[in-house]
Amino acid sequence: MAADFEQLLETEIEYFVRADHAVFVLPAAEDRIREAIAARHPALNITSIGSHLKIFKDIGLPADVAARFGPNEMIGSHAIGHTRMATESGISSKNSHPFYAARDFSLVHNGSLSNHNGVRDKLRHAGIDFDSDNDTEVAARYIAHRLSLGRSMNDALQDALKDLDGFYTFAVGSADGFSVLRDSIAAKPAVLGETADWVAMASEYRALAALPGIESARLWEPKPATVYSWSHERLARAA
Amino acid sequence: MNIIDLDKSSVRELNARLHEKGNGEAPGEWQVLHPHGKHSLAVGLEAPHKVSIEGHAGYYCGGMNMAAEITIKGQCGKGVGENIMSGAIRVEGNAADAAGATGLGGLIVIDGDASSRCGISMKGVDIVVKGSVGHMSGFMAQAGHLVVCGDADDDLGDSIYEAQIFVRGENGALGSDCVEKEMMPEHIETLTRLLDKAGMTCDPAAFRRFGSARKLYNLDVDNAGNY
Repeated sequence: MAADFEQLLETEIEYFVRADHAVFVLPAAEDRIREAIAARHPALNITSIGSHLKIFKDIGLPADVAARFGPNEMIGSHAIGHTRMATESGISSKNSHPFYAARDFSLVHNGSLSNHNGVRDKLRHAGIDFDSDNDTEVAARYIAHRLSLGRSMNDALQDALKDLDGFYTFAVGSADGFSVLRDSIAAKPAVLGETADWVAMASEYRALAALPGIESARLWEPKPATVYSWSHERLARAA
Repeated sequence: MNIIDLDKSSVRELNARLHEKGNGEAPGEWQVLHPHGKHSLAVGLEAPHKVSIEGHAGYYCGGMNMAAEITIKGQCGKGVGENIMSGAIRVEGNAADAAGATGLGGLIVIDGDASSRCGISMKGVDIVVKGSVGHMSGFMAQAGHLVVCGDADDDLGDSIYEAQIFVRGENGALGSDCVEKEMMPEHIETLTRLLDKAGMTCDPAAFRRFGSARKLYNLDVDNAGNY
């Protein structure tokens, strides 16, 4: 596959493999890369694109899946893990979270959307392609579409409150940080924790219990219909 | 003092020991170490033990409590004191949503903030929150008292029955069929007693009272839009 890319893109590339995923560093325009994939490897499932974000997802016991990809050996500024209980679409790697929908953009979702078919139709009419019939992919494509129209992350998430119907706690990852949004009923759980050194979000506290300094962290539940955002740039400015 | 370390014992072992027969005649002091946010700690206690959870608790801590006095020396997750019958629970930090849900009696005191739906469907429990409460608190609350020393978010007391809500700070939009009501001398008296029991020093005269407008009790087609 790497040889194919080098030949089609006429450049040297780098790559590394983790289980059945590979990360390719392809110094070429995105449309050329997509053409190359469509021509030679149409069955390839792209989990993410960008210069910061990498998404690994698979089916199995969470501990087994984590062992396959070895997140302990990864270095980064922010990360999220997600285990899915399938409700709106089948159990597959493709339907697993996080969903990417733009460069360095990812979404995980706890909940289910009730109007995803209608929103998907509208986005398709706007020229957006989908990889799955999953409701969360609709939310990811929707938010990415709003961003592509020039909306800020905060505004795009405010738009989601109006256009996405159903239950959700969203965690959106970007190159520089992450945002959290709950629907206006906020029945799907979420907890935020913050210290001088880190900020963390989880569905429940158990996932945060092992973090250093958690005993004295500020812990609270995000309010409904309210966007919470953190970025490294902002934190650096504050410091 | 009985000490149970949850790094060494399971939650099941903890609850089994707290439920052991004969405990009723010899209530004891219990210290629970390293809770790490585990769920269902010290639930269904029939004996008047004094239980101290030394850290953060998970979901439904102290649920169905009958006689124990439980202190959580940290934050707690969803549904603290869910279906409490009597006895007392104190949370020294913040509580997640649905604190005291469906509680029939007893007292829950939260020294920090409580999140959404605090006192949802409460049926007689008294809940005193030193901080603020989240949205939809007192939802379908049937009996008992919810005292909020801070602010209350939107949809307070939605579809409330005969529970009484007291708020010292600001309130957001009131829920369906919830209205502000006059503070009569008997309400000041009730509030004074509750604040005293909870060990809070706020002035009862600074609170406002909220309760049911009693328009949604029975199906009335003219109210269809409000259900």
